[in-house]
Amino acid sequence: MRGDRAGWVALGFLAFACGAFFLRERGPYGLPWLPECTFHWLTGLHCPGCGMTRAAHATLHGRIGEAFRFNPVGMILLPLACVGVVIEILGWVRGKPLPFRLNVGAGGAWAIVWIMAGFWILRNIPCPPFTLLAPP
Amino acid sequence: MQWYYSKNGTQLGPVGERELLAKLASGEVSPADMVWKEGMADWQPAGKVAELASFAAGPSLVNSPYAPPSVQSVPMPGGASIPNYLWQSIVVTIFCCWPFGIPAIVYAAKVDGLRARGDIAGAMAASTSAKTWCMVAAGIWIGLILLWILFAGAAAVFSN
Repeated sequence: MRGDRAGWVALGFLAFACGAFFLRERGPYGLPWLPECTFHWLTGLHCPGCGMTRAAHATLHGRIGEAFRFNPVGMILLPLACVGVVIEILGWVRGKPLPFRLNVGAGGAWAIVWIMAGFWILRNIPCPPFTLLAPP
Repeated sequence: MQWYYSKNGTQLGPVGERELLAKLASGEVSPADMVWKEGMADWQPAGKVAELASFAAGPSLVNSPYAPPSVQSVPMPGGASIPNYLWQSIVVTIFCCWPFGIPAIVYAAKVDGLRARGDIAGAMAASTSAKTWCMVAAGIWIGLILLWILFAGAAAVFSN
């Protein structure tokens, strides 16, 4: 247990909680200090993370189905990644890694890379089955 | 634990233990180079320090192309705990900025494969790269938001 690290984590958590609170109260368009996805702004195309702010807002209001509509891959990957990151952070604060990790192995990691790449391409195809992957 | 090491009469560091082990594995620090950390009475050659001895024993064999394959497949101590930063990479890709998050995911994906093949130095290098890309992505995102807040604040002040 390292006090300075615990302090940083507490600070980060506080910032995260503030962000979540403002997002919940003011909505994805009510945050003037949150820049729009630069890629979408420049190209008009959707990146793999596009729609996540709106999805997070919908989740914070309990509308899970709507959240999946904004970014289905992100809604699966992000909670998984958050669990993985929390385990890593706890190990970091403790000074040595926890005895277990959320580990998908080398194959799983590459599968995630290809899923994200494929998702990126598919959600930008402008015809019916694929438009379901793009934020409405 | 922070280590100092000395090369050609120059004191370098501090570096973390994992980083020093990576330097030993890659041959950047040789077993004859002197190392020291807080609590040690005096500087000692890296090869004589018990905590580092496992790596110092076969320094350049790990990534030498001439090493026999059997050496490469020997499981190295510490190899099991190389962080792959996969989840951190995914979070920064989705939340922060993907141009820097995607290289992080690719490096993160390499770590476990390299480790399974016994290339500990390679796995550590990939791990470090993944970490660096994550920090860059997170740093740029935080920087952007701070800039944005500054601009928004300035605009609010000047419009009054």
